[in-house]
Amino acid sequence: MQYSQRARWSDQIARAVFFFCAILLIVIILAVIGFISSKAFSIFFEHGGTSFKTFFTIDNWDPTGVNDPTGNGHPSFGAFGLILGSIVVTLFSILIVIPLALGTAVFFTEMAPGWLTSILKPLIEIFTGVPSVVVGFLGLTILVPFLSHLLTPVAKSLGIVGATAGFGWGAAILVLVVMVLPTTLSISIDALRAVPGSVREASLALGSTRWQMMRRAIVPAASTGLGTAIVLGMARAIGETLAVALVLAGNSLPKHLFSLGVFFQPNVNITASIANDFAETSGVSQDAYWTLAFVLLTISFIFICISRYLASRSVYK
Amino acid sequence: MSIQSASSTTFPPSDEARLAQQGRLVRRLHRGNAIASSVLWFVTVLVTVIFVAIILNLVWTGLPALSNPTFYGTGSRGIAPELFNTFYILILTEIFLFPISLGAAIFLVEYARQGWLTSVIHFAAETLAGVPSIVLGMFGFLVFSSDAHLSISRLAGALTLLCLNFPLGLRLFEDALNTVPRELREGGLALGATKWRTIRTVVLPSALPGIITGLILTAGKIIGEAAALLFTMGLFNPANVFTLDPTLASDTLTTRLYFLKGSGAGSSGLTSAQETLLAAGISAILILLLLLINIAARSVGRLIQRRLTAA
Repeated sequence: MQYSQRARWSDQIARAVFFFCAILLIVIILAVIGFISSKAFSIFFEHGGTSFKTFFTIDNWDPTGVNDPTGNGHPSFGAFGLILGSIVVTLFSILIVIPLALGTAVFFTEMAPGWLTSILKPLIEIFTGVPSVVVGFLGLTILVPFLSHLLTPVAKSLGIVGATAGFGWGAAILVLVVMVLPTTLSISIDALRAVPGSVREASLALGSTRWQMMRRAIVPAASTGLGTAIVLGMARAIGETLAVALVLAGNSLPKHLFSLGVFFQPNVNITASIANDFAETSGVSQDAYWTLAFVLLTISFIFICISRYLASRSVYK
Repeated sequence: MSIQSASSTTFPPSDEARLAQQGRLVRRLHRGNAIASSVLWFVTVLVTVIFVAIILNLVWTGLPALSNPTFYGTGSRGIAPELFNTFYILILTEIFLFPISLGAAIFLVEYARQGWLTSVIHFAAETLAGVPSIVLGMFGFLVFSSDAHLSISRLAGALTLLCLNFPLGLRLFEDALNTVPRELREGGLALGATKWRTIRTVVLPSALPGIITGLILTAGKIIGEAAALLFTMGLFNPANVFTLDPTLASDTLTTRLYFLKGSGAGSSGLTSAQETLLAAGISAILILLLLLINIAARSVGRLIQRRLTAA
């Protein structure tokens, strides 16, 4: 009697502890959203702040006011350049990642010989966890000098201004490709694996070639899963910080935004700006970085919602 | 499309013409197949070569640093403090992360009914997993360092890493628990054991290999994280770095690497060449640790399979 009572008590206690652990997850995400949004809007409403229009459309990011041309130290909160930088590098890197990831994933699940699978599988797993700062270091020591070496003569002969340093969006896009590719690739492979063998057999039995089978049967059947892979890759790309910060190395948007050289000049984005300057600010100028964090949080939340919507619509899981 | 257009020509063609047409169609399809196959071959080999080249390059450029004894020392050109801090923060984070995420996984798999609560928790996990690590670093700075008065310290860093890796740990441990067959649980309950006793004596031991794999994989994430630690653990070491005091600010291998290459030449008191050499060494060490972790997780995974096939 006593034993069973004690057992029931310990069962109740264990249940309560585990329940608390699971609820902690909700508490953390609500705290992240709550604390960040509590700080994010003060630059719009408090003294010395700015307007929504300035924040989203003007390219003059100077929250501490050190670069004020009048010398009075007036801060400026135009984040257009930072936001544009994040969007451009994310979009272009995902455009490069999509053909690479989808091609490799289709090959991996449908055609690859055993020896190639056994090399590629551990490689993908290792690269999903590769520290972003290591990729940034590699970009800084190999990619940037290479781009600079490659582009200096081209830029000179075409008369493009400034595109000689190797730093900038171009390098950031290539670094992001290395960071995002493994994530997108492994989710794509999972999505293609989830398509049952009967779909393949039916398609082949109708007389289609292997390529027709992949293009007309497998890829459409896995399309929502592949969409999830791409969206989660974009979520990873927009939040990627240190790898991008190391190869952007700029303070503001380049002057000639609509020239060919814009991809190869020192440039900015949201995450690099936070990583470089957040720690040295305080007061209203620090609040400006919270607004940037809120922008990032919102964008990644939208990506997660899209990926969840796609996942809920997929036929094969 | 092409088959339809081939068979719906308005003039009934002679047999020979039709055969020739079909032959052309088949040839075209096979040519398309061959082209697509070779393109896919090319893409896959390209991706593989890029991955292999990156790893080999990192290890190769790091070799001169790795073979030099001062690299493992405590001076400004050594990484002994950072190596110590990396493992310190790894263990401190796992002390929080392992029980909490395993507990949450047990609740979701064993106790909770599938319903609104579990989907809210899963949605929270996915959302948290999507929050960029630099944003979580700022959150940690605000909540743990400032509001909770932990200042910039190892403890604040570990708590931030807990928030960052909680979703990953939850998913891995859930997967581990889900591999345990239902009959085992039913057997335990049928013998009159309470749920908690069944979990403790039946479910957890059977899920052990999966749980260990999860532990190893979260360890890899913790070792490689830098952005979340920039504002919560700092970039510098105090003199008494080799103590277990969790209130100290300190850097890790990754944040040291970022500081060396990110804050401008000369700010670390080294020449640019020395900085690059040191950074190359740190990158190589990180990659080797990662390889080691991956191999460890794999051999544990193989252990599961051996167990399942032997049972």
